[in-house]
Amino acid sequence: MPVRGTPSRFLKSVLHNGVGRYVCQLKRISIIFSKNAQSSLGVRDFIEEGVVDYAKKNPGTVVYVSPQSCRIPRIVAEYLNGNVREEIITSKTAPQISELLSKLTNQSGLDVIRIRKPFHTDSPSIQGQWHPFTNRPPSIGPIRPHKQAAP
Amino acid sequence: VKMAVSRGLPGLWRTCSLLFPRHPLLFPGITRTQSSVSGDLLPRTSLSRPPWAEQTSLVPAEEEQSRHAAVVSAVNQRISRQDFGRLFAVVQFAGRQWKVTDEDLILIENHIEADCGERIRMEKVLLVGAEEFTLVGRPLLGKELVRVEATVIEKTESWPKVHMRFWKRHRFQRKKIIIQPQTVLRINSIELAPRLT
Repeated sequence: MPVRGTPSRFLKSVLHNGVGRYVCQLKRISIIFSKNAQSSLGVRDFIEEGVVDYAKKNPGTVVYVSPQSCRIPRIVAEYLNGNVREEIITSKTAPQISELLSKLTNQSGLDVIRIRKPFHTDSPSIQGQWHPFTNRPPSIGPIRPHKQAAP
Repeated sequence: VKMAVSRGLPGLWRTCSLLFPRHPLLFPGITRTQSSVSGDLLPRTSLSRPPWAEQTSLVPAEEEQSRHAAVVSAVNQRISRQDFGRLFAVVQFAGRQWKVTDEDLILIENHIEADCGERIRMEKVLLVGAEEFTLVGRPLLGKELVRVEATVIEKTESWPKVHMRFWKRHRFQRKKIIIQPQTVLRINSIELAPRLT
């Protein structure tokens, strides 16, 4: 699939995030795992040790832990702009899961698609945008090259 | 004919017309070629001087100096009164130069060692401008003069880029998915110190 066939967006932030204070964009994390399956072994270890520290470190994020009988353990992350991201954590170890969680915390909820430009400004020109008549002295008559032979 | 960017060689003339030098961190030294002929440092070719006649200024040296002093004092007054509106700056960061104002976003293709929400000061400032005046550094402006501050907003990964190599008729193809770490910075403020030297 060529690059222009894939969706793309411009670089932006959710509600001018850095201008005033910085707000963590992660709203809610739900960890869905099973109590007895082998695939959620790492998740169970992580819930024993790391979940409480994570929740204390990120006071703006709500952490839900729900043991269900499911074959595949998941993490469902919801962001402030409404996007929902689901990650599958089958057979991952506890440090890998905490790394994944920190990655999700640092993201904002915008789509992970091609970003067209690596910059974004609301005021692109301060001294005035250039047009062919800036810094050009007005002249009467046609404009010709100087007839000076360079020695 | 395109000339390579010179770094202060006196014989080549494409020096001052470029606003942002391609290598801002190299010291612009003057190299001297060995020539037994005293006088010209480089041989005179069709490209060693511009095609227009060299114009000596019509103004005597003292008047030119007084004009320069007037301009400098005018700019000093404006800066000491903080009489400018929005400032823009050209900043060297992550191997690239960015033209930056307040409240604008920048995407860097690697992770920085600062957490989300931390404030960062960008030290390599090449140029600062307002609507009425510009300060051009040679190549950098002093740290006591300008202060550019930014906040780390987001540390994500890029979209999965496909890196594929294919040679036709050789049964060779390799496909690799590349995901790069990315950081988004928001420039919070650009401040000018109230005194210039």
